[in-house]
Amino acid sequence: MTTTAARTTTYAWIVLSAITIVSWWLAPGHTRGAAAVASVPITIAVVVLGFIKGRMIIQYFMEVCTAPRWLKLFTDAWLAILWAGVLAIYLF
Amino acid sequence: MSSTISAQTSPSAKVAENGRTPRAGKRDVWLVFWIVPAFYTAFGLIFFALARVMPPPRPDVTTDQMVHFFHAHALTIKIGFGILVLIVGGAGIANGIVAFHMKRMTVGSVMAYAYLGAMSVGALPGCLLVAFCFLTAVYRPGRDPQLLALLYDLGLLSYVGSLGCFSTAYFAFAVAILYDKNEIFPKWLAYVSIWQIVTEIMAVPVFVSKAGPFAWNGSIAFWMGVVVFGFWLSCVIVFLMKATELQPVDEPPLE
Amino acid sequence: MANAKQTAADFDSAAASSVTGTGRQGTVHTPGDGHMWVMVLGDLIIFGAYFIIFMVYRAMEPQEFLTSQEHLNINIGVLNTLVLLASSWFIARSVQAARAGDHARALRLTYLGGLCGVAFILIKAYEWSTKIAAGYTISSNDYFMFYYMLTGVHLFHVSLGLLILGVMVRELRNPRRRRMFMVESGATYWHMVDLLWIVIFALLYVMR
Repeated sequence: MTTTAARTTTYAWIVLSAITIVSWWLAPGHTRGAAAVASVPITIAVVVLGFIKGRMIIQYFMEVCTAPRWLKLFTDAWLAILWAGVLAIYLF
Repeated sequence: MSSTISAQTSPSAKVAENGRTPRAGKRDVWLVFWIVPAFYTAFGLIFFALARVMPPPRPDVTTDQMVHFFHAHALTIKIGFGILVLIVGGAGIANGIVAFHMKRMTVGSVMAYAYLGAMSVGALPGCLLVAFCFLTAVYRPGRDPQLLALLYDLGLLSYVGSLGCFSTAYFAFAVAILYDKNEIFPKWLAYVSIWQIVTEIMAVPVFVSKAGPFAWNGSIAFWMGVVVFGFWLSCVIVFLMKATELQPVDEPPLE
Repeated sequence: MANAKQTAADFDSAAASSVTGTGRQGTVHTPGDGHMWVMVLGDLIIFGAYFIIFMVYRAMEPQEFLTSQEHLNINIGVLNTLVLLASSWFIARSVQAARAGDHARALRLTYLGGLCGVAFILIKAYEWSTKIAAGYTISSNDYFMFYYMLTGVHLFHVSLGLLILGVMVRELRNPRRRRMFMVESGATYWHMVDLLWIVIFALLYVMR
């Protein structure tokens, strides 16, 4: 119903914003005076979080969760290929 | 019996037994249309195979290497660009027929003229300048290397960097398509034109970049632009054909 | 093409659901029209290519990218992300309001979404001006070229998005229009703008 949709959307927004705040904390530490150093675990976390955030926007804001299967597949594939590609290039 | 009666009505009004609208369109428009794919095929041959401008030679080379480029390719440059300056009117015709069909849209003529004007202005830096620069470079053997380097840079910067005119044309095209109720072109073609604008924006750094993805031969500033342009052009040619086909033969001449 | 059939069917189901005001549980529905999805999916592919190319160049000079990244202001990046997320929330809620027939509310929410978009642009302009003043321009190095180009072309998309939201507003204000597929299409584009920023934020500001 409309109110359920409203609640879902709002929850999605809150989670997305929370993840963003978490990213703030993960980011290079120049705000805390330390120099930036490469970090594999942090980058993996960023990639995973990026994937999750992207998927939430697509599924809940863009309403792909109620869309035809081809659209769900396409958007999931895009997310997977993008973030897997980013991680692969970063690691190798 | 019914077929002889229907043969006398406008061909666009009758639908064939298999459900497809039969080919119609005006003969003079058809003539002009076929010039478009013919021209762009020749254009592709010239720019890829003969003039060696696609892909462009690198910006991060020495003056000697630029001189060598002109010496090595002098013959094909002369043939290719020599032909181009003869047939470049084909670009004007392509723009003309697009503008013609745009005038049939409900948005009126102003967007058609914006498209036509912008594309026409863009043709000089975007197509002709590199031809004239390269033809001049190979015209006299033994030309001063510094001058050759200048012509090299001028030709290629103008070819890859002539963004604004085309972006304006694409924008007019997109707006016209989106607001057109006659559905002369499909709405998604407007969005492909927006992608064209995106690739033009990504080419802005060619003026400061000598190597890497944003140089005039770069993966982003050049190659992705080529891919999107190839797709856009193919779509435009296909839909020009459809628009020509679907134009009623008895449609009165446009204002 | 399947898209066209889908679009027609979905337009009907969207119209039906907006009339009854019920949600679309169990109903498969493509928001907006197929044309906008061509834009969105194609744009995602194009940007995907830009992002991968960015990563390749980053892998060639990881230390330079890392030290250059330090000069970005993560606070502004987070602020911009939150602003855009909020704008997407407003627009998503606006679509829901329009579906329920509450067009006045949908209009208000669209304005709020647009306001966030304007805020994003202003914040970005401020960010650029501080970077340029500090001497980090587009020709400083590869990282900054990517920074200005990616955020720049994204800004172009935001501006286009504001135009599209304007079209949405026009649609909602006119009682003789208010076609759901127009509202949904506009919203879909706007969410794409948000989605692209999420990736840019992760790649340029956060990852190391």
